[in-house]
Amino acid sequence: MSPPPAVRCSALTVAYTHEPVLCDVDLTVQADEVVAVLGPSGSGKSTLLGCVAGFVPPRGGEVHLAGRMVASSNRSVPPESRDVAVVFQQYALWPHLSAVDTVAYPLRRRGVAAAEAHRQATELLERMGIAGLAARRPAELSGGQQQRVGLARALARAASVYLFDEPTAHLDTALRSALQEEMTERRRTGGAAALYATHDSGEALAVADRVALLRAGRLVQVGTPTQVYEQPVDLWAARLTGPASVLTVPAEAVGDDKVVLTLGEETIRIDGGRAAGATGEAGTVLVRPEWAELGGPLPGTVRQTWYRGPHTDYRLDTPAGGIDVRHAGAPTARRGERVTWSLHRAWAIAGAPGGS
Amino acid sequence: MASRTDTGAAAAPRARSWHGAAIALAAVAVVLLVGFPLAELVATAFAQGAGPLRAVLTGDRALSAVRNTLLTGVVVTGFALVGGTAAALVTERSRAPGRTWLRVGLLVQLVIASFVGALGWAQAYGPGGLTDDLLGFALPGLYGVAGVVTVLSVQGVTLAYVVVAAGLASRVEPDLERAARASGASAWSALRTITLPLLRPTLLAAAALSFVSTVNAFGVPAVLGSPAGFVTVTTRIYSDLILSADPAAFSRVILLASGLVLLTLVVVGAVDLGESVRGAVTRTSAPPGGVPPGVGGRVAAGLLWGYVVLTTVVPLVALVLTALTRAVGLPAVPANWTLRHFREALTGLGGQALGRSVLLALAAATIVVGLGGLLTALRRRVAGRGLSTLATLPFAVPGSALAVGVLLAYGRWLRDTLLLILIAYLAKFWALGHRPIAGAADGQPPDLALAARASGAGPVTALRTVTLPLLRPALAAAWLLVFLAGFDELTMSSLLYGPGSETLAVVILNLQQLGDISVTTALAVILTGVVIAAAALLTVVRRATLVSVWGPSLRDGHKRRLGESLRGLRDSRLR
Repeated sequence: MSPPPAVRCSALTVAYTHEPVLCDVDLTVQADEVVAVLGPSGSGKSTLLGCVAGFVPPRGGEVHLAGRMVASSNRSVPPESRDVAVVFQQYALWPHLSAVDTVAYPLRRRGVAAAEAHRQATELLERMGIAGLAARRPAELSGGQQQRVGLARALARAASVYLFDEPTAHLDTALRSALQEEMTERRRTGGAAALYATHDSGEALAVADRVALLRAGRLVQVGTPTQVYEQPVDLWAARLTGPASVLTVPAEAVGDDKVVLTLGEETIRIDGGRAAGATGEAGTVLVRPEWAELGGPLPGTVRQTWYRGPHTDYRLDTPAGGIDVRHAGAPTARRGERVTWSLHRAWAIAGAPGGS
Repeated sequence: MASRTDTGAAAAPRARSWHGAAIALAAVAVVLLVGFPLAELVATAFAQGAGPLRAVLTGDRALSAVRNTLLTGVVVTGFALVGGTAAALVTERSRAPGRTWLRVGLLVQLVIASFVGALGWAQAYGPGGLTDDLLGFALPGLYGVAGVVTVLSVQGVTLAYVVVAAGLASRVEPDLERAARASGASAWSALRTITLPLLRPTLLAAAALSFVSTVNAFGVPAVLGSPAGFVTVTTRIYSDLILSADPAAFSRVILLASGLVLLTLVVVGAVDLGESVRGAVTRTSAPPGGVPPGVGGRVAAGLLWGYVVLTTVVPLVALVLTALTRAVGLPAVPANWTLRHFREALTGLGGQALGRSVLLALAAATIVVGLGGLLTALRRRVAGRGLSTLATLPFAVPGSALAVGVLLAYGRWLRDTLLLILIAYLAKFWALGHRPIAGAADGQPPDLALAARASGAGPVTALRTVTLPLLRPALAAAWLLVFLAGFDELTMSSLLYGPGSETLAVVILNLQQLGDISVTTALAVILTGVVIAAAALLTVVRRATLVSVWGPSLRDGHKRRLGESLRGLRDSRLR
């Protein structure tokens, strides 16, 4: 028999008032897996993590950690008795403790002697590259340094489940990618399970083995990064996971991996498919910018261009609707110019454009 | 600042002359209300020389008053700190059911006048009181040192509770405690290693506040201490000034009052220093509360409910029952109820006194709001800031001492008039009205008025259409706070009243000393009814203030709302 999952939430429901914040959430995280929880702010990410950590009691459902039930509607194991470590969005560093004392704190709590805890904490700070700041208090550290201390504190806990609550939300882009790299690295070497809440789709797709999309307290889709990006269940999921244009054209899925689109006079057969429940008639077809390019059989007019450096995004007016096309290099067509374009992939989904 | 000064060259001279007049007006008010009385007190104390000091230090009775006061202060501070911290942890951290009502229950002690609280305790647990009637149990030593310390401790617990609860909200983010728990700390260990160390400056402030308000307390020792011969500095000042014709008594009053001022300023100054050294605190929009409560949290909440019932509910009920019951000694059953005492209370002296107290409170509130608005308008100027500091100074001066200063300064012309009492109220409560207004004004982004200017409004129009409408709830809150504080004021009124200028609180105290319990309690119930109504109104207005300043983002606003409303109430009870 395979070992029980590191985290298993079943039918988890949380409500602070009568309005549920989490509703019937089923989610598992395997022992060495990173699952990203992706959702806009207010979707319940922090609450979900809070339930797993033991900060928030569920109103219904259960949380199991490594097969052990830790939370249900009438029972909640306190956080210190759960095998979890938490990295907080706003760092949650204690203003009265120095960096090294902060990292030593979890060690001291599980009974490591003061000198040994200090030694191990210093080692962790070294691994984070901030050993020189060991004596500083949070007020004397920058945001990125603070979050490294927060990460070191979580690692000192040596838990089998790590909970990251938007750890990079308050960092600038450079620090953000540095920290992401660090965490991906730790994941490869550490082997612990992690639940990573974020509202940044790029981050979620990059760090996670699987991504769970959360909307207003309900899970909309759970899948690998490629699945949620290439095969979103609906338009909302599609927009959450990245840029997407929508064409309203007759589309028919052929087999599992091909789709036939009728664009004006042209009928094209390309890679793609359709979400479960999508009908084959005149439907909503999703196109990621890099699934289309300039040049090809289809007509269009440039409405707007954005030069991004490595590539340029063009918004085209076409008979089938507006579409964003990404093309490598600097802009080659100006506003109002008539161009041609082609499509090599598409995804047919259910529901009216803009609907949920 | 640069953006605020370039208001256009043409408008500048007119604005300057307006500001000049306003500063002159504020300066005159500060000198008359604050400078003159305090200067008179200090000058008179020095003019006496060392003779009276020697007399006090060697005189048995004055010295015992000093000793009683200091001992009471220390003991009450200890109880207040422990009880207030425990209560704050229960209501702010345990997530026990009914916390909102528990908060209200604790805050009632801030709202009712302290001498009314003492009267209630006497009617509940004293000889012939409610428990004596029902169970044959009277609290031993309620009249005397034990009773004074107990009732002052109950009031001190609430005062400390307010400070610690606000400190928990502003200094200890729930995430900081959660981080400790997620690092393996038990609830107790997180409290010891994280919460309490972070609260240290807050606890110091709470201790100072309890100590200062205890040593300056007059109502409780007057009601429960004096009948048993337990004398404190404040009751000593009262009896020397009001009841004694001995000229030596007057120098003793000056000396004791100056001593109180000195003690208060030293304690408050020491803590203000500590308060300025504070750590940075981050804010989050995390879900409310700490960590799910264990059984302990529910038990603690239950205990706290018991405390509130015993210390607040029972005394208030006893007060009402005594006022309703036909005659002292009869069982308080509906058959014996009557409204006669209320009628009696409102005809004659009591009714006149009620009218005077309402008049005084209305006048004080209205003038203070005007003065507070004036200082707020000037707050960006150096002179304005200096005047603000001076205006808020008397707030730290004990009521007894301030009253003596006002008496020395204006007594020769205004003795036995309501105006004398009004001057004391204005001096004491100016700060009370100034702070909420200045706080709301500071919380208002300067961009709002600038946006009005950029939209074509002149300085006066911008004030009228943008700044003032946004300040309206704060002005109302300030008005109500001063009304609340002035309506049941006892400490200063009892030293300044004369024939024809007795306030409601003074009449209640005098009737109590004469032993007319039924009418005393009826008047106390009327007074408390008005005060509770004003306080309820204040809560509504407070919410409006905070929403107008911070917007309806409740998650974040909750902490501020708690902090702000508690601070206002706390200040209104600092005497």
